[in-house]
Amino acid sequence: MGNKSVRVIAGAMVVAGWAGWAGAQSASEIKIVLPEQPANLEPCGTIITNVGQILSRNVVEPLTIVDPKSGQPTPGLATEWKQTDPNTWQLKLREGVKFQDGAAFNAEAVKFSIERMTGGKLTCSNIAKFGDAKLTVTPIADLTVEIKSDKPQPILPTLLSVVMIVSPNTPADKAVNDPVGTGPFKLSSFTPQTVVLEAFDGYWGEKPAIAKASYVWRPESSIRAAMVETGEADLTPSIAIQDATNPETDFAYLNSETTAIRIDAGFAPLDDVRIRKALNLAIDWDGLAQLFGEDVQRASQMVVTGINGHDDKLAPWAFDAEKARALIAEAKAAGVPVDTEIELIGRNGIYPNGTEAMEAMMAMWQDVGLNVKLTMLDVNDWLRYLQKPFPESRGPNLLQMMHDNNKGDAAFTVPIFYTSGGSYSTFEDAGLDKEVADAMAATGEDRTAKFKAIFAKVHDDLAVDIPMFHMIGYTRVGSRLEWKPDITTNSEIPLANIALKD
Amino acid sequence: MLGYIGRRAYHSVISVIGLLTLVFFLTRLTGDPSALYLPLDSSLEARQAFARLNGLDQPIYVQFFQYLHNLLSLDFGQSLRQNRSAIEVALEAFPATLKLALVAMTLATVLAIVVGALAAARPGSLFDRVAGLVSLAGASTPDFWIAIVGILVFAVGLGMLPTSGTGTALHWIMPIVVLMLRPFGLLVQVVRGTMISALASPFIKTAHAKGMKRRKIIFGHALRNSLLPVITVAGDLATGLINGAVVVETIFGWPGIGKLMIDSIVQRDFAVVQSTILVTAIAIFIVNIAIDLLYAVLDPRIRY
Repeated sequence: MGNKSVRVIAGAMVVAGWAGWAGAQSASEIKIVLPEQPANLEPCGTIITNVGQILSRNVVEPLTIVDPKSGQPTPGLATEWKQTDPNTWQLKLREGVKFQDGAAFNAEAVKFSIERMTGGKLTCSNIAKFGDAKLTVTPIADLTVEIKSDKPQPILPTLLSVVMIVSPNTPADKAVNDPVGTGPFKLSSFTPQTVVLEAFDGYWGEKPAIAKASYVWRPESSIRAAMVETGEADLTPSIAIQDATNPETDFAYLNSETTAIRIDAGFAPLDDVRIRKALNLAIDWDGLAQLFGEDVQRASQMVVTGINGHDDKLAPWAFDAEKARALIAEAKAAGVPVDTEIELIGRNGIYPNGTEAMEAMMAMWQDVGLNVKLTMLDVNDWLRYLQKPFPESRGPNLLQMMHDNNKGDAAFTVPIFYTSGGSYSTFEDAGLDKEVADAMAATGEDRTAKFKAIFAKVHDDLAVDIPMFHMIGYTRVGSRLEWKPDITTNSEIPLANIALKD
Repeated sequence: MLGYIGRRAYHSVISVIGLLTLVFFLTRLTGDPSALYLPLDSSLEARQAFARLNGLDQPIYVQFFQYLHNLLSLDFGQSLRQNRSAIEVALEAFPATLKLALVAMTLATVLAIVVGALAAARPGSLFDRVAGLVSLAGASTPDFWIAIVGILVFAVGLGMLPTSGTGTALHWIMPIVVLMLRPFGLLVQVVRGTMISALASPFIKTAHAKGMKRRKIIFGHALRNSLLPVITVAGDLATGLINGAVVVETIFGWPGIGKLMIDSIVQRDFAVVQSTILVTAIAIFIVNIAIDLLYAVLDPRIRY
């Protein structure tokens, strides 16, 4: 083969490659680039970010949808619901809905999906939101279903927002990678490189503007941002703050996550409320916020605005090093061993600048006279400290953590953090346990007021933890799309809400 | 020759079984995967159900004997993460790495031999100095840095190449260049060093005295005699590429086995970790056998 032939072949390859790379998409096709490959496409795992962002409200739909502004459940595949007794709810189902495989959507299909979720025959992440509740589902009519729980479930309609309804032809005893639901898009393919969804012609609702969506994954934030910038992709969630440099395409949004430090109140000197208050007062919060970006919001509680029970009026701790020193001196005079070494346990990679934040906080606590030493752990080791049973060898410690609640109600936060039996709780207070139990059983405004009172008590009176910031996410949206992220973007990106610019 | 291959295969099987045993116990030392596979707020009951479903509630020695029993029937287990056969997941990812490694290693070796030989032919010349500088830079610059800068320059700045992914000829360019730089840099140094020694040998002087052409002396005689150490180093580098083109695969979204292995370790996906180790161990065994056989081809004094 002569030199000329080699040049011709090489040139043809480059041209073919270029053409294939540059001209792959038509006007109504979009490409979304996610940070992580979805482990699988099991609809029972939509609370996992990378599964939910693909499947939730695209391929499979829930019975109810939590409104991102009010936190209240709104109609999904269920159009109405009423509580007939404390343990029973009756739901009316939407008419004219078909599954993507042609099966009928009705009360039997809802019973199948809930029993598949609760049956224990497959690993189902979403069931965690129900705790240890036992549900019994009974079809009353073709489009009416009754759900009984073994104990009162005042927020069952909110909980039902994580129940993804799947076709009755789905295997009940094993996880799937080929989900079939009622959503506006059906799964076209799932390979190690991409997931492709195509519009479902038989969808009950309005036809979406997008005809086809491809999902790819790249862990590097800068590369995902570059992909949207160069037009290789149209949208990417969760880019790092340093990559969110273009105000035209990069949107900041409150992402429902709250970062905080848990105080292990089981050990001296952390069992003294003066020390816990001093820990909160010793931090230069304005200085620390520099690490989190200008859009970040100071937190006074573990849930964000819009979650039922959040109290807008609850003020965060202010920076007052002198007051912190005075409280520590007062505790020392009362015999509290304030010189005891306190281990600050951070988690590598928990969020951008997470290690730097821990280093800064350690220095600030040392500055007011506390003996704090930082240990950074990888996620596996860190998890041992986060949830019970805690390591027996631990001593007084402070744990860096981040909590995500976008499900509309403080019930997904308060019991695990603040009750004696809560899996993350190091605090034991019978009075607080009772208040939490009362709030969990309450409904309406009474429920909201009770959760607000609990947040105020754990913040102002008990200083159980050190709420830091409500976190901000950044999403880059390409110039072809009309869409803005909101608090739900961490768990879903409904394609039907995306419009195409002309 | 066949007897030699048989003996090597026998020893390799023992090594692979030892390796898999070690990996089995080491992975399980990392703890319970339910903490990663179930939401943090899962109940104890849900965790126990997860352990039961995946056989993780059994004592570790029972799990090990079950694993060995399954291996005999070529059952390599299920991926916890992907709900499918672990060996299928590993074998699906392997060709992507193999293709990338093969192209990068071939290009790196050929280029390094040419550049190293030419540099050795005129030690101290401008070409030699430039080749030395480029090869040292290639061998020592972190590949993630080259990858990110390459993306910024060629994809974002100039718009000539895609940032990442697969599918077209253009998608191959940056991963291959990044992957080949380190082996290229190291091999240039090795070729140059061995060639300078070879060119000083008496048989080369004899060839000169006989009036043989310089090009034939360099590429026909000196190079052939310098290739054995080059092949040894190239073999090591090739097995390294098969085992872990992790950074390149991660940055460029290349669906290979290196990234799969790291992800599986982080995710405690035990069966996939074991399967990726098995597949790469067999591949490394084959590469080593091939290198040994190549020795015999290049040096007639070597017989198996």
